[in-house]
Amino acid sequence: MSRNNEITVRVDHVTKSFGDFTAVRDLSLDVRAGRVFGLLGPNGAGKSTTIRMIVNITVPDTGSIKLFGTKIDSQLQDRIGYLPEERGLYKSMKVVDQLRFFAQLKNVKGKEADRRIDSWLERLRVSDWKQRKTRELSKGMQQKIQFISAVLHEPDLVILDEPFSGLDPVNVELLKDVVLELKRGGRTIIFSTHLMDIAEKICDDICLLNRAQKVLEGSIREVKSSFGRNAIALRLEGANGNLETSPLISKIEHHSDEMEVLLAPEVDPQVFLKELISSGAAVTKFEMIEPSLNDIFIAKVSET
Amino acid sequence: MTKLLAIIKREYLQRVRARMFIVTTIGLPIAMALFGLAPALVMSIEAGTPLRILVLDETGKLFGRLQGAVRVEEVEEPKDEFGAQQRKDALEKARQQNFILEEVPLAGRSEAEINTELDRRLKAKEIDAYLILPADLMQNGKALFYRRNTSDLFSTRKIQGALDGAIREQRLSDAHVDAATLKELARPSQFETMRISSAGNERDSGWGFVLMFFGGFVMYISVLLYGQVVLGAVIEEKETRIAEVLFSSVKPFTLLMGKLLGVSLVALTQLTIWGLAVAGFGVYGINLLASRGIPLVVPKVPLLFYVYFVLFFLVGYFVYATLYALIGSIVTTSQEGGQLAMPIIVLLVISFYLFLPVSKNPDSTLAFWLSIIPFFAPISMLVRIITQTPPLWQIVLSLVIGVSTATLLTWVSARIYRIGMLMHGKRPTIPELIRWVRQN
Repeated sequence: MSRNNEITVRVDHVTKSFGDFTAVRDLSLDVRAGRVFGLLGPNGAGKSTTIRMIVNITVPDTGSIKLFGTKIDSQLQDRIGYLPEERGLYKSMKVVDQLRFFAQLKNVKGKEADRRIDSWLERLRVSDWKQRKTRELSKGMQQKIQFISAVLHEPDLVILDEPFSGLDPVNVELLKDVVLELKRGGRTIIFSTHLMDIAEKICDDICLLNRAQKVLEGSIREVKSSFGRNAIALRLEGANGNLETSPLISKIEHHSDEMEVLLAPEVDPQVFLKELISSGAAVTKFEMIEPSLNDIFIAKVSET
Repeated sequence: MTKLLAIIKREYLQRVRARMFIVTTIGLPIAMALFGLAPALVMSIEAGTPLRILVLDETGKLFGRLQGAVRVEEVEEPKDEFGAQQRKDALEKARQQNFILEEVPLAGRSEAEINTELDRRLKAKEIDAYLILPADLMQNGKALFYRRNTSDLFSTRKIQGALDGAIREQRLSDAHVDAATLKELARPSQFETMRISSAGNERDSGWGFVLMFFGGFVMYISVLLYGQVVLGAVIEEKETRIAEVLFSSVKPFTLLMGKLLGVSLVALTQLTIWGLAVAGFGVYGINLLASRGIPLVVPKVPLLFYVYFVLFFLVGYFVYATLYALIGSIVTTSQEGGQLAMPIIVLLVISFYLFLPVSKNPDSTLAFWLSIIPFFAPISMLVRIITQTPPLWQIVLSLVIGVSTATLLTWVSARIYRIGMLMHGKRPTIPELIRWVRQN
């Protein structure tokens, strides 16, 4: 995409405290246009506070935030779609009335609003619930309705705070597809999550927060290669007796029918393979693997 | 602007469609109608079956006067603004007998014999009651009234009243004072209050005071009723956590203003419906009373008074409603809000009772300041306008201060709301609140 170097959100040396507690400390990050940006981190790392500052619900103590190159104002708010972590809908309103209301608040009116509402309800498979009151909906369905309210006005920037929490696997897949669709439509997406496997599948760039600070950032590629560990997926038939004591290995993780082996630093995988074969083991699988985002997450979080 | 309208519209429609709103809006006038009409209906039933009473008059002088007293007691002279036909009808209705009195001759029988005879007829329901007037009644005797139904105090009192009248007349007649002389002696003084104003002398019918009291009362009731609704409406988004989504679309000030106006429109809708119902019953009631010979003349009040009434009512309502909004922005649950709203009610009650000193001295310095301070102004200023209209600049000043106060309070509430929304559980301290308001 040609706009890839355009910056949609720039967070510049931002600090935010609540009383004695510092929620975000000296955070800087850039979100590039047309990309999916994952804000990752354990609970309480400062993800939601960062997001609230980006959507102008709270204001940084120091530092600045710019959206689309300018300071946020009410005009810019219409170009943002926001799904907060704490869900809230008007319980006694009908789904369709509720969505119309949210559309109006973003200056989308009349037939155009109705057309978009219908198509989104269809897309997220909740059309049957259009005329029902919100309190009759399950939690997952309410979440979908709220997601629709965040994207109805076709915002350039979509900000989703923990969008997948509380959804069943089918709906996680559905929502994941929708997010990728939005990306293909040229929208910039920021989302926070602590579900690393999903982040790994849909993020272009990530920023890992821990205890109010940034501990890692970059594209998924960069992050993984910079983290480059010597990990090998291994399946052996027969003898593997001396693996546990081998000086070449720093860690073994056993899965159902194979294992993940982490080599000791500076060990050449080829040397390890030779060693295996000479020890008489029948190697049926030997695959160099990248560290998963989950591994990186755990390593980084426990490190700081 | 579109956003403000969207919020007002949602707030209004959601509330007006609510079952509770429909029930109370329609229910109150119906209840009023029932309470208003039921007594009238009962009265008309009673009027249909007069009480049959036998009278044993041992004094031999009172029966005639008693009968006369029962008949004419209710009749008032119809006022001359009615036509001849109406006057005749009214008189006729009033003359309708609620009692049929019949004299029982002693005819040589003893009192005990007659008592037994009358008891029998009473039990057989041939008559409804009988009255024994002993021979020494005029001196120190005791009249005895026998009835099957002693709980009908209304009729008993009437008979007693009529008997008192009959005895008084008889005594006067015994003292050679005739009725005409008596009437002349008992004539009340003529008394009229004049209201002095720049427009010249007008007759004060006391209607101004009624209007003033009524106005204050309506204001008091509506603030009590709808203040709670405003409080609930402001807390709603906090409790349901919708505020966060809304704030990514609208400014807190717009949200609060929209909610305030939406609820207020609901209040006005309900009050208008109730007002029309009251006016309808009022007109009907006046006609009903008039047709029964009790005319009620509605005094003319200058139209400007009504305009002022509406203006000060609205300003007063908004000043208090924004106080409720302020409370709503501070607390996190409605129970907490209810407790914190107590001072508002105290303030309101004080402002209501202040109409007493103000109406006594509408031109005093106290009255001036009270009618300028926004929380007291609506009622105080109305009192002053009605009793002794102050200069126009004071009225305008009072209105301007009221509107500014309401706007300022909304602005302050919006600031607190914006930050308070993200806080859970703990109620903020006053220094914290001040910091939130000043924070950018």
